[in-house]
Amino acid sequence: MTDSATIVYDSAAPSPDTVVRAKGLCKSYGAFEAVKAVDLEIRSGEIFGLIGPDGAGKTSIFHIMGGVMKWSGGDIEVLGTSPSQARPQIGYLTQQFSLYLDLSVEENIRYSASLRNVRREEYRERTDDLLRLMDLRRFKSRLAGNLSGGMKQKLALCCSLVARPKLLLLDEPTTGVDPVSRREFWDILATVAAEGVTIAVATPYLDEAERCNRIALIYEGRIKQTGTPDELKDSLHLERLEVRARRQAELAGILEKESRDLISDVQQFGDRLDILVADPASAQALVTGIGERLGIAIDVSRQRPTLENVFVHSLRKEGDEEQMPEFDFQRARRERNGETAIVARQMSRRFGDFWAVKGVSIDVGYGEIFGLLGANGAGKTTTIKMLCGLIGVTRGEMELCGQKGNLRSSSLRGRLGYMSQKFTLYDDLTVFENMEFYCGVYGISPDLRARRIAWALESCGLAGQESLITGKLPGGWKQRLAFGACVMHEPEVLFLDEPTSGVDPLARRQLWDLIRTFAQNGTAVLVTTHFLEEAEHCHRMAFMAGGEVVAQGSPGEIKAEQPGQLIELRAQPIQAAYLALKDSFESWRVSIFADRIHLVALAERDLDKASRIVTETGAKISSHRQIPFSLEDSFIGIVERAQMEVVR
Amino acid sequence: MSAAPCDFSRIFSQAVKELAQFRRDPITVGLAFLLPLIALFLYGYATRLEVKGMTVAVINHDQGKLSRDYIDRLFSTNQMIPSEWTGSSPIEPLDRGLARATVIIPPEFSRNIKAGRLSTVQAMVDATDVNNARVIKNGIIGTTNFFIESEGLNKASKILEPHIRLWFNPGREESLYIVPGTVALVLWVFPSLLASLSLAREKEQGTILQLYASSMTAFELIAGKLLAYLTVALCEAVVVLLASFVFFGIRFVGSPVTFFVDLVLFAACAVNFGLLAGSVAANQNAAVQIVATVGFTTTLLLSGFIYPVRNITYPLSLISNVVPARYFIESCRDSFVRGPEPFSHWYIPVALIAGNIILLRLSSKKMSAMQLRG
Repeated sequence: MTDSATIVYDSAAPSPDTVVRAKGLCKSYGAFEAVKAVDLEIRSGEIFGLIGPDGAGKTSIFHIMGGVMKWSGGDIEVLGTSPSQARPQIGYLTQQFSLYLDLSVEENIRYSASLRNVRREEYRERTDDLLRLMDLRRFKSRLAGNLSGGMKQKLALCCSLVARPKLLLLDEPTTGVDPVSRREFWDILATVAAEGVTIAVATPYLDEAERCNRIALIYEGRIKQTGTPDELKDSLHLERLEVRARRQAELAGILEKESRDLISDVQQFGDRLDILVADPASAQALVTGIGERLGIAIDVSRQRPTLENVFVHSLRKEGDEEQMPEFDFQRARRERNGETAIVARQMSRRFGDFWAVKGVSIDVGYGEIFGLLGANGAGKTTTIKMLCGLIGVTRGEMELCGQKGNLRSSSLRGRLGYMSQKFTLYDDLTVFENMEFYCGVYGISPDLRARRIAWALESCGLAGQESLITGKLPGGWKQRLAFGACVMHEPEVLFLDEPTSGVDPLARRQLWDLIRTFAQNGTAVLVTTHFLEEAEHCHRMAFMAGGEVVAQGSPGEIKAEQPGQLIELRAQPIQAAYLALKDSFESWRVSIFADRIHLVALAERDLDKASRIVTETGAKISSHRQIPFSLEDSFIGIVERAQMEVVR
Repeated sequence: MSAAPCDFSRIFSQAVKELAQFRRDPITVGLAFLLPLIALFLYGYATRLEVKGMTVAVINHDQGKLSRDYIDRLFSTNQMIPSEWTGSSPIEPLDRGLARATVIIPPEFSRNIKAGRLSTVQAMVDATDVNNARVIKNGIIGTTNFFIESEGLNKASKILEPHIRLWFNPGREESLYIVPGTVALVLWVFPSLLASLSLAREKEQGTILQLYASSMTAFELIAGKLLAYLTVALCEAVVVLLASFVFFGIRFVGSPVTFFVDLVLFAACAVNFGLLAGSVAANQNAAVQIVATVGFTTTLLLSGFIYPVRNITYPLSLISNVVPARYFIESCRDSFVRGPEPFSHWYIPVALIAGNIILLRLSSKKMSAMQLRG
């Protein structure tokens, strides 16, 4: 096999407690091969993650495992039999609505139970247990359509667990779910797994992979790597250095040019650089040396590589990354001089009786990338629509490019760029026709047109392929093309609404490189995302929850503001330790990540208390260490503390 | 289909779930009960096959009493009314649309008749609308014959006098013809629409995957939905029949038992047809298209609802034999108009049972894989 990227760990004879075993599994839809010779082994009692971007083939594999679709080639065995025979023992939570929104919580569960012939007494008992576990008992008679996204997913989980399946299949269970509910959902999954249910999860989120015992990275229908998250990280044989310094872009440029042999990757974030190195000591010396030459203070800290590093690394082996073409800016570069492009003061918006946005105040300067974060329904899209003048403001005021009134004037709109959440190109036009159309819409002078279109095509590696039909491009290319279309007129202010949803990690990185290019030339960028990891790319950000901004600052500032420390514990047996800790600390402070527990220690003695509690249950803490807060940890902490304030 | 035995509790819970969903959605409930009533009133009041109030212009060149009597006779029923047009050109009122026909009475009309000589009346009829032209022509001929008889003219030729009596619908009340047919039409279209939507919606929204992922068989799924929507259809039938009783004065003249048996079988046919449409369609839009084109059109045109079945030309007449509404319309007219012996038209329930079995077989077969296509 030429596919050298595949690293198979534990390739010894399959253990008898294998729940799913696929060999050379293929699936084609007409001429399109969605799944290409996939080998897969899911073991009893584990949480297995199938990680990959949209269109990678995750759902096809799950449909086949769930027995609802035929496969085209290869073999697959589920629970020792064919997937279709195994159906009564499988719980399948599909990606689309698997609930009837016009039925109540109880009716949904009862119907699921009857589909699977659950006896009446057992149904009662089981429903009671599940509703208690999911904390849904109060909502028994509420219609499923009136539940929040997180509660809907918990209910769907109840429905698939009511018949006590041996294997639980979850296809993107947390898409569109807010971070707090997402964490709760995963903690519940750990409890379910501890009861002996084998769980397979498909997800595009690399941070969720940390919650799995073993994962497989899938891309374009092929499995790239399989193993535990730690194994995959170790397989890189690299370390990650987080570098914090002023003049970060300059430093990144120097590192990329000068030290190709020592540094295998440089990635820019909002307020730090990540470099991947084989020899951390000499790399650290190199970086410090450059810092002295430039006369800037540099702070370097050593960390483990992330799973994103692993994924990007394995995708890069595929082919050489395209070189980013230069954009010939016509306008003079505008320095970041504190001049603001977007100002909002106590901005609010009401729909009927509902305040979607309440008193939001933000400033975005030219050259700044500002992130607006929050779950679906937190008010992000309403805010961005008000800021770019698409809908009016109910209360408060705002300013765009120094203008207060007449935000819809055509001269002002000509200075803005907007890329909406939904893909904005015409699927049935060719790539070139789309670009021509947007050149016309934005009034780009004819002598500049050819160059701009050439740049847009080159920036997504489509040079020479302008006659392709846009609809047939993969998601990542389309997204970069759409970005190209909305910046061809060099906007001064750029609004990006969820620009990277569903895009693979490599394409996402390239898109962020593009965004950074524009920011460096003085464009103010406002970007929304529900994907907290990605917010690391922003210079500053605002967290939104319930229509309000609950925290604002740079990624580093927000993390630093968190009280206490984040401790990672390893303990055996992990589930007993987790349950004991969950009972003794506020629930948001304890979370389970496969074989580790994250605990927010607010005081010195919290760690002693934790170790005492764990020991009392008969479990044992084998190791503990302090780890940095992620943005998600920070967000959850902020929201939960705010809620406790309200309760008090 | 899997070898698993059919599980009645599963069918039952499927039906319970369908009814709960149906009840919760005000739009569906409206579709089920309001639209059939609107359709009933539209067809019941608006469809008129009889012709009334057709304007006729008269040019009378005769000044005698007989010609005036003849004209009075012409307008004595409400079938024809005099045109306001006065003039001498027989074509002009037709051209200008002021009259549908012109009757020209010659100068010697009265004298010729009194003298026992042959006299002619000329009528010019606007034949743009062939059906109405025929009705007017027959009306004028009929009036003329009646006039001749009543005036005691032409006694010599009166050897055979036909006496025509109209049976079943002696007053020739149109609603007795239209309303029972409408009941059948409405009970065909709406139950099938609801059933097809309920199946197509599950496919469109992906909830069907939960059924595929369970061991439920296609037959259990279809039977559960059939049970639920048959219940809905029978409720609709009660509403529509009550409305016909109250507003159109329809009464049972035949056997209610026969009617009820046929009704249940026919409603089941409608639901089964909808479920077949839903199992073929990939989404709700396609389901509506199938029900509207295949179901509604055949029922409107080939069931004897408006055009008598025996007037349908070969080979379309063959299709009419497999249109379930054709049988139920006959059953309706039996029950409300004709009133024959109970079950004397035994082929009606037999045909409907056969239809049910075939439709149920087809839709179960269509869904039998209980898997995604592709």
